[in-house]
Amino acid sequence: MVGKMTRAALLTRIGFKRDRFRLLIWVVVLAGLMSAVAVKFVDIYGTPQEINAIVGTLKSPAIVAMFGAFTFTGTVTTAEVFANEMLVFMALMQVIMNLALSVHATRDEEDRGLTELVRAHAVGPLAPLTAAINELTLVNFGLGILYAVGLDLASMPGATVSGNWLIGLGLAATGWLFGMLGLVTSQLADHAASATGMAYALFGLSYLVRMITDVQRPRLTWWSPLGWIEKLTPYQTPNWRPLLLMLLTGLVLAAVALLIAQRRDIGAGAIATRPGRRTASAWLRGPLSLLWRRQRTILLGWLVGVIVLGAAYGTVFNTIGDILKTNPTMQQVFGGAMVHAANHHLLVGFSSLLTVVLAAIAVIPGLQLVLKLYTDETSGWLESLYARPVSRTRLLLTYSGLGLLTSTTLFLGGWAGLVLTGNASLTHAKDGITAFEFWQGFWGQLPVIWLFVALGILLVGWWPRGRVAVWLYLAYGFLSQYMGNLLHLPHWAKQLTPFGWIKSVPEHAVDWPTFTGLLALAAVLALLGWWRYTRRDLQLR
Amino acid sequence: MTQPVLEIHHLQKHFGRFQALKDITFTVNSGEVFGFIGPNGAGKSTTIRTLLGLIRATGGHATIFGQDVWRDNVAIHQRLAYVPGDVYLWPNLTGGETIDLLLKLNGTAHTAHTDELIKRFGLDPTKKARTYSKGNRQKVALIAAFSQDADFYIFDEPTSGLDPLNERLFQEAVLHLKQQGKAVLLSSHILSEVERMCDRIAIIREGTIIETGSLAEMRHLTRTEITVTTEQPLAAADLPGVHSFQPGRHPHEYQFAVEAQQLASVMATLTAHGIVALQSTPPTLEDLFMHYYGAGKE
Repeated sequence: MVGKMTRAALLTRIGFKRDRFRLLIWVVVLAGLMSAVAVKFVDIYGTPQEINAIVGTLKSPAIVAMFGAFTFTGTVTTAEVFANEMLVFMALMQVIMNLALSVHATRDEEDRGLTELVRAHAVGPLAPLTAAINELTLVNFGLGILYAVGLDLASMPGATVSGNWLIGLGLAATGWLFGMLGLVTSQLADHAASATGMAYALFGLSYLVRMITDVQRPRLTWWSPLGWIEKLTPYQTPNWRPLLLMLLTGLVLAAVALLIAQRRDIGAGAIATRPGRRTASAWLRGPLSLLWRRQRTILLGWLVGVIVLGAAYGTVFNTIGDILKTNPTMQQVFGGAMVHAANHHLLVGFSSLLTVVLAAIAVIPGLQLVLKLYTDETSGWLESLYARPVSRTRLLLTYSGLGLLTSTTLFLGGWAGLVLTGNASLTHAKDGITAFEFWQGFWGQLPVIWLFVALGILLVGWWPRGRVAVWLYLAYGFLSQYMGNLLHLPHWAKQLTPFGWIKSVPEHAVDWPTFTGLLALAAVLALLGWWRYTRRDLQLR
Repeated sequence: MTQPVLEIHHLQKHFGRFQALKDITFTVNSGEVFGFIGPNGAGKSTTIRTLLGLIRATGGHATIFGQDVWRDNVAIHQRLAYVPGDVYLWPNLTGGETIDLLLKLNGTAHTAHTDELIKRFGLDPTKKARTYSKGNRQKVALIAAFSQDADFYIFDEPTSGLDPLNERLFQEAVLHLKQQGKAVLLSSHILSEVERMCDRIAIIREGTIIETGSLAEMRHLTRTEITVTTEQPLAAADLPGVHSFQPGRHPHEYQFAVEAQQLASVMATLTAHGIVALQSTPPTLEDLFMHYYGAGKE
């Protein structure tokens, strides 16, 4: 007799075997990052002077918007600074890992027909989903333990054992909760891309709610599951209630996923696919319109997401760009003009950091499009195209052209969203970012974006199997800028990626010779990739 | 004599150390259906992908319409139609959209003939490609290929997912192409299909073409199965060209295989013994196939 969950344990083991490399990379990178930062913090925020210097910064709305709001009471310890800077950030990483793993373990397997093959054996109908739940639970729990042990070993001043474990388990529970969310969207959607899109939309919403409430009214942050991690206050008065809330929500989501899985057919989603057009519309006529047709929902989703993110960051302009709020005596001491100049200066500094964030995000879908040229190749989709009079050059231009356009548009959209909302929120419009500074910010980051896309082209030509390298490089480039100052990274470590090769804009003016040089480098990389791509064998199924 | 549509001379392809194609040589002419047979992994698809310019030959030479398959692939594909063995369609396009797009890529359009093919093959063009079965995906590719006005058609195991009715439709459509003077390369391991449709055949084994010719020519190279009943007892086991001689179920009934070259002399011996009944079965393509592969294994 086969029960609903028969052989779930076996499938769990198979799942671990299937994902062993990706799990290994995630676990090593995340646990390593956490422990390394903790050790580093002992070094850079060890003395009260160092701590006092950073606490002021951490209270500024700009940092709150990105790292979360925390309250400090009494003497601030190194551990408390660490919790402030790292919790929200690590939670984001943990969620990204979980969304990728959950969709990969369920909907992706089903798309490829593997679930059907498995279910044809004496395996319970809910066993594959249960196996995914088991895998996510074990991975998160394991990582949580590693976090706690890593923090114990780092032994930061002010750290407590219960605080360390609260952080480890809290991050694990946050990730797990979103993993369960990924399992639910995998049951709702009828293919992997759509499941991922849905999950990320909800994740993005949680992030925005967290950010806006953190800046405006931290009490309301309880409404975002991503905000719960901030409520742990691990090294002050350890609060285990958020952990309970996370586990409860995750359990409810897992139950929902199982319930839907039980009611739907294999291969189908709970949301049914409607029949489509009988013939193609007039504009669907070539590789470019085909690519757009396949990707338009995702790309438009990215555009909306990035504009909303930019606009959301913009809403805090009013708080950041008002120095009088933190220092009311300034007006009397320095006079109005000076205050406006100082406000403007603060906003330009904040915007300069955000151009890096927006540029890094804008690179993602463009780079994905370029690398899709290879994944489409191995998925067999290109065989039908290349059997027609379509040249390699044309297809490479199609994918990389759309990639460049996407990344450029996204950056422009997010940056415009930030500056327009930000300026509109200001009481004194002239404190804001000027049109000149806006375009400086745009042109300044552009070569960085294009360089990453060009690197993708190079990989597609020469080393498509190693494409994960460009993602790691992008992630490192972003982190080295985003956290570089807080971590006191040495100068050379920030110079390893294109993000470090340009002057921060619009804080500084665009350096046109560097601009030209980077574009030329991008062109050379792209040409090298093209040269190889038009000459190599296609790797078909 | 006009120029062959496809000419392959000693084509070779290495993947690292593995030699997928060792020596491929054959030609396909206009108005001819050419069968390309061999077991899985013998190099059929690799040959076809080289012909399409998807992968580059390591040695030898291949031309289609007199043009180099790698260098001039875009020009060649203008006049070529291809149906792959595993059809992968863009999951969020409908079958109808896919057919139209594939036609547009060749500069042609959806015609009344396309509609007729969709109807004949019984395809629902409004469904998203991700919901299609293997057979339906193949239908999409076949409809697009047949509604294209190409000069050379390449089919790589095109009927592996089709039901017998659609298989018949496919065969009719290919014969129609032949009547129009088109060239067709049909890779298959459904031997009855090849036997029925193909004018000439090439057999590939482990990356080498081991036999090319018409079925009739190939039959000469193998044995005919004979079942004979004679008036007088027969002891023919030692005759030249006779193999696996054995008595049948009835008295004076014998079964054996005879090589085509020795058929005349064996027949003379049989006549001398007084033939009562004679049944001769020419080798099927399957026999030929087994003959070549069996020989290779020894």
